[in-house]
Amino acid sequence: MVAPAPIVEMKNIGKRFGGIHAVENVSVELRPGEVVGVLGHNGAGKSCLMKILSGAMNRTDGTIMVNGEEVALANPIEARHCGIETIYQSLALADHLDAPANLFLGRELKTRFGTLDDKRMEMEARQALRQLNPNFKNITDTVLNMSGGQRQVIAIARAIYFNARVVIMDEPTAALGPSETAMVAELIEKLREQGIGIFLISHDLNDVFDLCDRVMVMKNGQNVGTHAIDEVTKDDLLNLIILGKLPDNWSPRNLVAS
Amino acid sequence: MSGERISTCSDAEVKGRFARLWSHMNGDERKDVVQKFAAVFSLMALIVVFSVTSDAFFSVGNAMTVSLQTTSIALLGIGVTVVILTGGIDLSVGSVLALSGTVAGLLVKDGWPIWAAMSMGVLTGMVCGCINGFVVTRLRLAPFIATLGMMLIARGLALQLTGAAPVSQLGEAFGVLGNGSLFRTLSVGANGLPKVIFPGIPYPVLIMIVMAIIVAFILRRLAIGRHIYAVGSNEQASRLAGVNVNSTKMFAYATSGFMAGICGIVLMSRLVTAQPNEGIMYELDAIAAAVIGGTSLMGGVGTISGTMIGAFVISILRNGLNMNGVSSFIQQIIIGCVIIGAVYIDHLRNRR
Ligand SMILES: Nc1ncnc2c1ncn2[C@@H]1O[C@H](COP(=O)(O)OP(=O)(O)OP(=O)(O)O)[C@@H](O)[C@H]1O
Ligand SMILES: [Mg+2]
Repeated sequence: MVAPAPIVEMKNIGKRFGGIHAVENVSVELRPGEVVGVLGHNGAGKSCLMKILSGAMNRTDGTIMVNGEEVALANPIEARHCGIETIYQSLALADHLDAPANLFLGRELKTRFGTLDDKRMEMEARQALRQLNPNFKNITDTVLNMSGGQRQVIAIARAIYFNARVVIMDEPTAALGPSETAMVAELIEKLREQGIGIFLISHDLNDVFDLCDRVMVMKNGQNVGTHAIDEVTKDDLLNLIILGKLPDNWSPRNLVAS
Repeated sequence: MSGERISTCSDAEVKGRFARLWSHMNGDERKDVVQKFAAVFSLMALIVVFSVTSDAFFSVGNAMTVSLQTTSIALLGIGVTVVILTGGIDLSVGSVLALSGTVAGLLVKDGWPIWAAMSMGVLTGMVCGCINGFVVTRLRLAPFIATLGMMLIARGLALQLTGAAPVSQLGEAFGVLGNGSLFRTLSVGANGLPKVIFPGIPYPVLIMIVMAIIVAFILRRLAIGRHIYAVGSNEQASRLAGVNVNSTKMFAYATSGFMAGICGIVLMSRLVTAQPNEGIMYELDAIAAAVIGGTSLMGGVGTISGTMIGAFVISILRNGLNMNGVSSFIQQIIIGCVIIGAVYIDHLRNRR
């Protein structure tokens, strides 16, 4: 099988805060329909790396190619134009607005008079949200009154509605209960089927084994290893996360075969 | 619980229509309606009480007085509401009003045409607002500090420019904006003296209504308005969603300065004198009007209609207490209690 060309290639990415290297010389790529897990300790630099890709943070070193073209990604708007959508660790929703207003925040639909087209936004939002979760009701409530799962659905719907090709998820299930976590896992599956590439930051190794095709482990801002999920065990990953290296006697093993 | 109260006080026909409307609303819209009803209801209650306790209160003449008093609180309140919605605060509007008015007065003295001088006055207000916005967004100072600074600067400037003396003898034309009315109809009575048939709509009231409608339209129907609410509810989220947070805040402070400018020229025109000492503590009335009208100081929540009601509540309270001979000291105590009470009720309702 010939692997499709990567949608995103990050090369030698670095980010310094004064003397601190939050991210150092990290390279990683993402292909369509692929879920790449980004693992590492607290403060390893996972969020920083992903913020660089989403345009929320400017890198100090390195190049990023999207569909083979070099891009600057100086701000979130530019990243969105490249088809990169992000679902943030702390859910980035405006609490006092309703679901449609959040879904279209910064990209509001307008009437031909230049005023907000709330009717159309509500219709489109209803459709987008129902697609992901048929039980989504009262979409015109302020999101303040919604459950963590509903809020996550809004964030994901936002990514899908605007035809994302790359979705970054920073601990999407950290604030959710078990059933909502299962729902998000389903959504990730749906995104993958549509050929969207996903970076998934997670601390839950079970999720990682369930959802990811490949994993990248970060430690102290560096990439200490990128592996196909079926060539490593949980213990291997823990070794990478904690010690920054694989066990001495390690060799790629195909767990599916064994 | 709140639904019952409303439905019991309506007749069958209205009740049916209202029930249908009510059933189409979600929780927040219902809450909003209940709040508006509560606010309008307390306004009515105030009017009824004052009409009973004072003969002079319920009259066309006094209604005019009250609406004129409301205009300055409302004009400032509308601007301040926009800033508060973004999660900021504007303490400078009382001083900016004075600076705008004195600039207009001094330019008229200098031989400028009235319209040009007044436009410069409004522009001065807007520039002050832009400076506030600059300090908040670029220098990243807390809005409280930035606008506190502007409060002193604008007042000092107004006093310095005029030598702390009122600028008078501005000519009758300077007073038209503040004292004239639209559709004022007079007839010549039998004794040859003019008789007022219809007192007309005072220009200041007209300006207040027009500005309220314009700003409410911006907040409800335009993207910039949506962004103002978004920035106030979650600034970080708005930035990540691609909202230009700095220009949104800039717009809010500029609007507030602009409204203070308008208020300044209207007030000075009413006095036909440019008073550098005018408007002291008005910022607090404006903020109180917004807060009584349901605007949250945390940002993201509030409406112009609420602020208008708040402005009416304050001015009717003042006027009615005056008419009943309540001393200004006691008035302060009462208005203070009303502010605390209104915000506490709001707080309870939101906590549920
Ligand atoms: N704005 C900033 N200024 C200075 N240092 C920062 C900033 N943001 C992040 N850092 C530092 O960069 C490092 C990496 O942080 P990052 O948020 O990427 O960690 P993470 O891997 O996402 O951790 P977690 O699992 O806790 O989310 C940390 O040491 C952090 O203190
Ligand atoms: Mg993180």
